[in-house]
Amino acid sequence: MPGHIPIWVGILSELTEFGIFFVAYFIAKYNYPEAFSLGPKSVSTFAGVLNTLILLTSSYFMAKAMINIRVDNRLKSERYLWLTFGCGCWYLVVKTAEFYWNHQQGFSTNTSEFFTIYYYMTFNHFLHVGWAACAILWVIFRLRKGAYSAKQHSGLEALAMYWHMIDLMWILIFPLLYVLR
Amino acid sequence: MKSLGKIEFYWGALIAITLFNTFLGEQFESSALVSVLVALTVMYKGLMVIDHFMELRHAHKYLRLMMRFYLIFFPSLIILTAFF
Repeated sequence: MPGHIPIWVGILSELTEFGIFFVAYFIAKYNYPEAFSLGPKSVSTFAGVLNTLILLTSSYFMAKAMINIRVDNRLKSERYLWLTFGCGCWYLVVKTAEFYWNHQQGFSTNTSEFFTIYYYMTFNHFLHVGWAACAILWVIFRLRKGAYSAKQHSGLEALAMYWHMIDLMWILIFPLLYVLR
Repeated sequence: MKSLGKIEFYWGALIAITLFNTFLGEQFESSALVSVLVALTVMYKGLMVIDHFMELRHAHKYLRLMMRFYLIFFPSLIILTAFF
Protein backbone atom coordinates (compact mmCIF):
# COMPACT_ATOMS: atom_id res chain seq x y z
CA MET A 1 0.00 0.00 0.00
CA PRO A 2 1.54 3.36 -1.00
CA GLY A 3 1.83 5.73 1.98
CA HIS A 4 0.23 4.23 5.08
CA ILE A 5 -3.24 3.30 6.35
CA PRO A 6 -4.04 6.60 8.18
CA ILE A 7 -3.50 8.65 4.99
CA TRP A 8 -5.85 6.33 3.09
CA VAL A 9 -8.50 6.76 5.78
CA GLY A 10 -8.07 10.51 5.26
CA ILE A 11 -8.19 10.17 1.47
CA LEU A 12 -11.37 8.05 1.65
CA SER A 13 -13.00 10.69 3.88
CA GLU A 14 -12.06 13.41 1.39
CA LEU A 15 -13.35 11.35 -1.54
CA THR A 16 -16.65 10.92 0.31
CA GLU A 17 -16.86 14.65 1.01
CA PHE A 18 -16.18 15.60 -2.61
CA GLY A 19 -18.48 12.78 -3.76
CA ILE A 20 -21.33 14.50 -1.87
CA PHE A 21 -20.43 17.79 -3.63
CA PHE A 22 -20.55 16.07 -7.02
CA VAL A 23 -23.93 14.47 -6.27
CA ALA A 24 -25.22 17.91 -5.14
CA TYR A 25 -23.92 19.40 -8.42
CA PHE A 26 -25.75 16.85 -10.58
CA ILE A 27 -29.01 17.17 -8.59
CA ALA A 28 -28.84 20.98 -8.82
CA LYS A 29 -27.98 20.86 -12.53
CA TYR A 30 -30.95 18.58 -13.19
CA ASN A 31 -33.30 20.94 -11.34
CA TYR A 32 -31.85 24.27 -12.57
CA PRO A 33 -30.54 23.61 -16.11
CA GLU A 34 -30.63 27.29 -17.12
CA ALA A 35 -28.45 28.45 -14.20
CA PHE A 36 -25.95 25.69 -14.99
CA SER A 37 -25.92 26.59 -18.67
CA LEU A 38 -25.23 30.29 -18.02
CA GLY A 39 -22.93 29.83 -15.00
CA PRO A 40 -19.82 28.42 -16.74
CA LYS A 41 -20.04 31.23 -19.32
CA SER A 42 -19.81 33.79 -16.49
CA VAL A 43 -16.74 32.45 -14.68
CA SER A 44 -13.17 32.95 -15.89
CA THR A 45 -12.28 29.98 -18.12
CA PHE A 46 -8.70 31.28 -18.30
CA ALA A 47 -8.30 31.04 -14.51
CA GLY A 48 -9.83 27.54 -14.53
CA VAL A 49 -7.51 26.30 -17.29
CA LEU A 50 -4.47 27.95 -15.71
CA ASN A 51 -5.16 26.29 -12.37
CA THR A 52 -5.69 22.92 -14.06
CA LEU A 53 -2.31 23.21 -15.79
CA ILE A 54 -0.68 24.31 -12.52
CA LEU A 55 -2.11 21.37 -10.55
CA LEU A 56 -1.23 18.80 -13.25
CA THR A 57 2.32 20.17 -13.27
CA SER A 58 2.44 20.03 -9.47
CA SER A 59 1.45 16.35 -9.61
CA TYR A 60 4.25 15.75 -12.11
CA PHE A 61 6.75 17.45 -9.76
CA MET A 62 5.47 15.38 -6.84
CA ALA A 63 5.90 12.17 -8.86
CA LYS A 64 9.47 13.28 -9.66
CA ALA A 65 10.13 13.90 -5.94
CA MET A 66 9.06 10.29 -5.31
CA ILE A 67 11.23 8.94 -8.15
CA ASN A 68 14.25 10.75 -6.70
CA ILE A 69 13.79 9.68 -3.09
CA ARG A 70 13.64 6.05 -4.28
CA VAL A 71 17.19 6.40 -5.61
CA ASP A 72 18.26 8.24 -2.44
CA ASN A 73 18.70 11.55 -4.27
CA ARG A 74 17.41 13.72 -1.41
CA LEU A 75 18.61 16.97 -2.89
CA LYS A 76 16.66 16.51 -6.12
CA SER A 77 13.67 15.19 -4.22
CA GLU A 78 13.68 18.37 -2.10
CA ARG A 79 13.94 20.56 -5.22
CA TYR A 80 10.89 18.88 -6.72
CA LEU A 81 8.99 19.30 -3.45
CA TRP A 82 9.77 23.04 -3.54
CA LEU A 83 8.51 23.16 -7.13
CA THR A 84 5.31 21.38 -6.04
CA PHE A 85 4.94 23.86 -3.18
CA GLY A 86 5.46 26.72 -5.65
CA CYS A 87 2.69 25.33 -7.88
CA GLY A 88 0.40 25.05 -4.85
CA CYS A 89 1.07 28.72 -4.00
CA TRP A 90 0.42 29.77 -7.61
CA TYR A 91 -2.86 27.88 -7.56
CA LEU A 92 -3.90 29.77 -4.43
CA VAL A 93 -2.90 33.13 -5.98
CA VAL A 94 -4.81 32.42 -9.23
CA LYS A 95 -7.86 31.21 -7.30
CA THR A 96 -7.82 34.27 -5.03
CA ALA A 97 -7.59 36.53 -8.11
CA GLU A 98 -10.50 34.60 -9.65
CA PHE A 99 -12.63 35.06 -6.52
CA TYR A 100 -11.76 38.77 -6.53
CA TRP A 101 -12.65 39.05 -10.25
CA ASN A 102 -15.98 37.30 -9.54
CA HIS A 103 -16.63 39.79 -6.74
CA GLN A 104 -15.90 42.69 -9.14
CA GLN A 105 -18.44 41.23 -11.58
CA GLY A 106 -21.00 41.10 -8.78
CA PHE A 107 -21.07 37.31 -8.43
CA SER A 108 -21.62 35.79 -5.02
CA THR A 109 -22.92 32.56 -3.48
CA ASN A 110 -26.47 33.90 -3.87
CA THR A 111 -26.22 34.87 -7.55
CA SER A 112 -27.66 31.56 -8.75
CA GLU A 113 -27.77 27.86 -7.85
CA PHE A 114 -24.70 27.41 -10.07
CA PHE A 115 -22.69 29.95 -8.06
CA THR A 116 -23.75 28.35 -4.76
CA ILE A 117 -22.29 25.04 -5.93
CA TYR A 118 -19.32 26.78 -7.59
CA TYR A 119 -18.26 28.53 -4.34
CA TYR A 120 -19.03 25.44 -2.26
CA MET A 121 -16.75 23.24 -4.38
CA THR A 122 -13.97 25.66 -5.28
CA PHE A 123 -13.52 27.22 -1.84
CA ASN A 124 -13.41 23.76 -0.27
CA HIS A 125 -10.82 22.67 -2.82
CA PHE A 126 -8.89 25.89 -2.16
CA LEU A 127 -8.67 24.99 1.54
CA HIS A 128 -7.42 21.49 0.70
CA VAL A 129 -4.64 22.87 -1.51
CA GLY A 130 -3.75 25.36 1.25
CA TRP A 131 -3.25 22.83 4.03
CA ALA A 132 -1.60 20.28 1.71
CA ALA A 133 0.90 23.02 0.73
CA CYS A 134 1.65 23.49 4.46
CA ALA A 135 2.15 19.70 4.70
CA ILE A 136 4.74 19.94 1.88
CA LEU A 137 6.74 22.40 4.02
CA TRP A 138 6.63 19.94 6.92
CA VAL A 139 7.82 17.07 4.68
CA ILE A 140 10.65 19.24 3.31
CA PHE A 141 11.68 19.97 6.91
CA ARG A 142 11.65 16.23 7.72
CA LEU A 143 13.54 15.41 4.51
CA ARG A 144 16.27 17.91 5.45
CA LYS A 145 16.48 16.28 8.90
CA GLY A 146 17.22 12.97 7.14
CA ALA A 147 13.91 11.30 7.97
CA TYR A 148 13.42 9.93 4.46
CA SER A 149 15.63 7.67 2.38
CA ALA A 150 15.36 5.14 -0.43
CA LYS A 151 14.35 2.52 2.15
CA GLN A 152 12.05 4.59 4.37
CA HIS A 153 9.90 7.28 2.80
CA SER A 154 6.33 6.39 3.75
CA GLY A 155 5.69 9.91 5.09
CA LEU A 156 6.69 11.50 1.78
CA GLU A 157 4.66 8.89 -0.09
CA ALA A 158 1.60 9.62 2.07
CA LEU A 159 1.88 13.31 1.18
CA ALA A 160 2.26 12.40 -2.51
CA MET A 161 -0.94 10.28 -2.36
CA TYR A 162 -2.86 13.16 -0.73
CA TRP A 163 -1.54 15.71 -3.23
CA HIS A 164 -2.48 13.52 -6.21
CA MET A 165 -5.95 13.04 -4.68
CA ILE A 166 -6.39 16.85 -4.60
CA ASP A 167 -5.32 16.98 -8.26
CA LEU A 168 -7.85 14.24 -9.09
CA MET A 169 -10.65 16.21 -7.45
CA TRP A 170 -9.75 19.26 -9.55
CA ILE A 171 -9.70 17.07 -12.69
CA LEU A 172 -13.39 16.35 -11.90
CA ILE A 173 -14.31 19.88 -10.79
CA PHE A 174 -12.80 21.68 -13.82
CA PRO A 175 -15.12 20.32 -16.56
CA LEU A 176 -18.20 20.57 -14.32
CA LEU A 177 -17.75 24.27 -13.51
CA TYR A 178 -15.80 25.67 -16.48
CA VAL A 179 -16.33 23.50 -19.57
CA LEU A 180 -19.81 21.94 -19.67
CA ARG A 181 -22.57 24.40 -20.45
CA MET B 1 11.51 2.54 -10.82
CA LYS B 2 9.58 4.28 -13.57
CA SER B 3 11.73 5.46 -16.47
CA LEU B 4 12.20 9.22 -16.46
CA GLY B 5 10.89 9.74 -20.02
CA LYS B 6 7.53 8.06 -19.42
CA ILE B 7 6.32 10.41 -16.72
CA GLU B 8 7.04 13.45 -18.91
CA PHE B 9 4.93 11.84 -21.63
CA TYR B 10 1.96 11.37 -19.26
CA TRP B 11 2.30 14.96 -18.03
CA GLY B 12 2.31 16.24 -21.64
CA ALA B 13 -0.72 14.07 -22.48
CA LEU B 14 -2.65 15.40 -19.46
CA ILE B 15 -1.91 19.00 -20.48
CA ALA B 16 -2.95 18.30 -24.09
CA ILE B 17 -6.24 16.66 -23.00
CA THR B 18 -7.01 19.62 -20.71
CA LEU B 19 -6.50 22.08 -23.57
CA PHE B 20 -8.58 19.88 -25.90
CA ASN B 21 -11.44 19.80 -23.35
CA THR B 22 -11.32 23.59 -23.01
CA PHE B 23 -11.35 23.98 -26.80
CA LEU B 24 -14.45 21.74 -26.99
CA GLY B 25 -16.24 23.76 -24.33
CA GLU B 26 -15.32 27.12 -25.87
CA GLN B 27 -15.84 26.39 -29.57
CA PHE B 28 -18.92 24.21 -29.62
CA GLU B 29 -22.39 24.71 -28.28
CA SER B 30 -23.25 22.30 -25.50
CA SER B 31 -24.30 19.01 -27.04
CA ALA B 32 -24.53 15.37 -26.03
CA LEU B 33 -21.43 14.64 -28.14
CA VAL B 34 -19.36 17.33 -26.38
CA SER B 35 -20.50 16.04 -22.97
CA VAL B 36 -19.60 12.44 -23.87
CA LEU B 37 -16.18 13.48 -25.21
CA VAL B 38 -15.46 15.59 -22.12
CA ALA B 39 -16.60 12.77 -19.79
CA LEU B 40 -14.42 10.18 -21.55
CA THR B 41 -11.34 12.42 -21.50
CA VAL B 42 -11.89 13.23 -17.81
CA MET B 43 -12.07 9.47 -17.08
CA TYR B 44 -8.88 8.93 -19.03
CA LYS B 45 -7.08 11.76 -17.21
CA GLY B 46 -8.15 10.37 -13.85
CA LEU B 47 -7.01 6.85 -14.71
CA MET B 48 -3.66 8.20 -15.92
CA VAL B 49 -3.07 10.03 -12.63
CA ILE B 50 -4.11 6.95 -10.62
CA ASP B 51 -1.85 4.55 -12.52
CA HIS B 52 1.17 6.67 -13.40
CA PHE B 53 1.41 9.47 -10.80
CA MET B 54 -0.08 7.71 -7.77
CA GLU B 55 1.40 4.45 -9.07
CA LEU B 56 -1.55 2.40 -7.84
CA ARG B 57 -1.02 -0.12 -10.66
CA HIS B 58 1.12 -2.13 -8.28
CA ALA B 59 -0.88 -1.34 -5.12
CA HIS B 60 -3.57 -3.50 -3.49
CA LYS B 61 -6.11 -4.35 -6.18
CA TYR B 62 -9.13 -3.16 -4.16
CA LEU B 63 -7.49 0.21 -3.53
CA ARG B 64 -6.86 0.67 -7.25
CA LEU B 65 -10.35 -0.63 -8.10
CA MET B 66 -11.97 1.83 -5.70
CA MET B 67 -10.07 4.79 -7.11
CA ARG B 68 -10.78 3.72 -10.69
CA PHE B 69 -14.47 3.23 -9.88
CA TYR B 70 -14.67 6.77 -8.45
CA LEU B 71 -13.05 8.29 -11.56
CA ILE B 72 -15.36 6.30 -13.85
CA PHE B 73 -18.58 6.76 -11.87
CA PHE B 74 -18.66 10.58 -11.62
CA PRO B 75 -17.72 11.32 -15.26
CA SER B 76 -20.42 8.76 -16.22
CA LEU B 77 -22.94 11.05 -14.55
CA ILE B 78 -21.89 13.76 -17.05
CA ILE B 79 -22.96 11.41 -19.86
CA LEU B 80 -26.21 10.60 -18.04
CA THR B 81 -27.10 14.28 -17.56
CA ALA B 82 -26.45 14.92 -21.26
CA PHE B 83 -29.32 12.60 -22.16
CA PHE B 84 -31.80 13.26 -19.34
